[in-house]
Amino acid sequence: MNEELDSQLSAMFDNELPAAECELLARRLSRDADLKARWGRYAVVGAVIRAERGVALDGTMAGRVSAALSTEPALSLDPAQASRRGSGLSWWQPLAGAGLAAGVAVVSILWLRSQALPGSSHVAVPVLVATRTATFASPSAQGPLQTASATITPDSFVVPPVQQRPMMVVPATELADYVVAHSAFSWPVSRGNLLSSLMVSEPGTSSTPAESEQPVPRVQGNATQNPK
Amino acid sequence: MSADASDLSLVRRVQRGDKGAFDALVLKYQHKLVKLVMRYVRNPAEAEDIAQEAFIKAYRALPQFRGDSAFYTWLYRIAINTAKNAVVSRDRSPIEYNVDRSSTDNDESYDMQGRMKDSETPEGLVLTDEIRSTVNAAIDALPEDLRTAIVLRELEGLSYEEIAAAMGCPVGTVRSRIFRAREAIDRRLREVFEGGLGRTEELG
Repeated sequence: MNEELDSQLSAMFDNELPAAECELLARRLSRDADLKARWGRYAVVGAVIRAERGVALDGTMAGRVSAALSTEPALSLDPAQASRRGSGLSWWQPLAGAGLAAGVAVVSILWLRSQALPGSSHVAVPVLVATRTATFASPSAQGPLQTASATITPDSFVVPPVQQRPMMVVPATELADYVVAHSAFSWPVSRGNLLSSLMVSEPGTSSTPAESEQPVPRVQGNATQNPK
Repeated sequence: MSADASDLSLVRRVQRGDKGAFDALVLKYQHKLVKLVMRYVRNPAEAEDIAQEAFIKAYRALPQFRGDSAFYTWLYRIAINTAKNAVVSRDRSPIEYNVDRSSTDNDESYDMQGRMKDSETPEGLVLTDEIRSTVNAAIDALPEDLRTAIVLRELEGLSYEEIAAAMGCPVGTVRSRIFRAREAIDRRLREVFEGGLGRTEELG
């Protein structure tokens, strides 16, 4: 018998062998009868030193247990599953992580909404309105945005900000854009429908046929001036 | 180095279907388990039966073992529960024996001898006086450094690092001394049992 191997076996018996070496030796130990017998004798030596008198010495218990388990199906935990178990992971932990992430996302959205809505109703949307108006009213203007914004009135068909209804400003604007753009390409009968009429008839807007037939201008993202 | 790496490597093999690895775990812990169970039952043969039942329960429960605790801790819990259930089912009162390592060996040996006289112990099942004297003689014949190392390990349960600190030598030297001590004792035991000691060829 290889003395180095036996020395490793002795250290493994004491749980003093590095894990990588344990893996290799455990594989050999489970198959090598001589090695297993030596392993059993190491256990007996310890039992003798500890004066464990009521102890079987001939390995009959191991034989009986092995015989009793011979009819049992072998366990079939795959290595990945065993590794996950070894690391303490359970099936519910990934789900818990996903749930936590979703919870954080919901709280963040609610917080952002609570922070943004009160003050944003008359800040963000007017910028959008002014920009569209400026671009639409003077498409060839290349001057500073400040000048364009100052000289052009917000006579767009876009819904102006309504401070009394801050919650509806952004959705209403987008809805109005969609409805008017849709009307430009729809049948004449449908242009005069109730919703379009409501949109274009709000105070401060213009609904001249020439303008309403133009395609909806694209939003300029760099404008920051509010209409007066 | 994990304190439970050896057991865990065997447990993982069992979980992957290697029953032979479970034999190694039984061989390693059968004596300790019987000793533990004998705190609850009188008869060593009965204690063996309970320990055997505990091993079988442990095997069946191994798929649920995650390694959160040491294997032997988990196994001991199963053995204790099995022993308690056996005591309850047989309407016997548990007997508390003082088998703490801190107690003296002579007291423990005396108690165990007295108990064995009252029980029907199968011949050859337990450690006989002849075996005990053989092992004691083997230990006495060991060089001082080997004897100290093996006693600190087996009797006091110290780790290699703790033994190295106590003996003022490297951990590798401790490992070598313990191995050589075991081999020397094992040679004497094999002479007594004519090669029959630790006979496990029929396993795995």
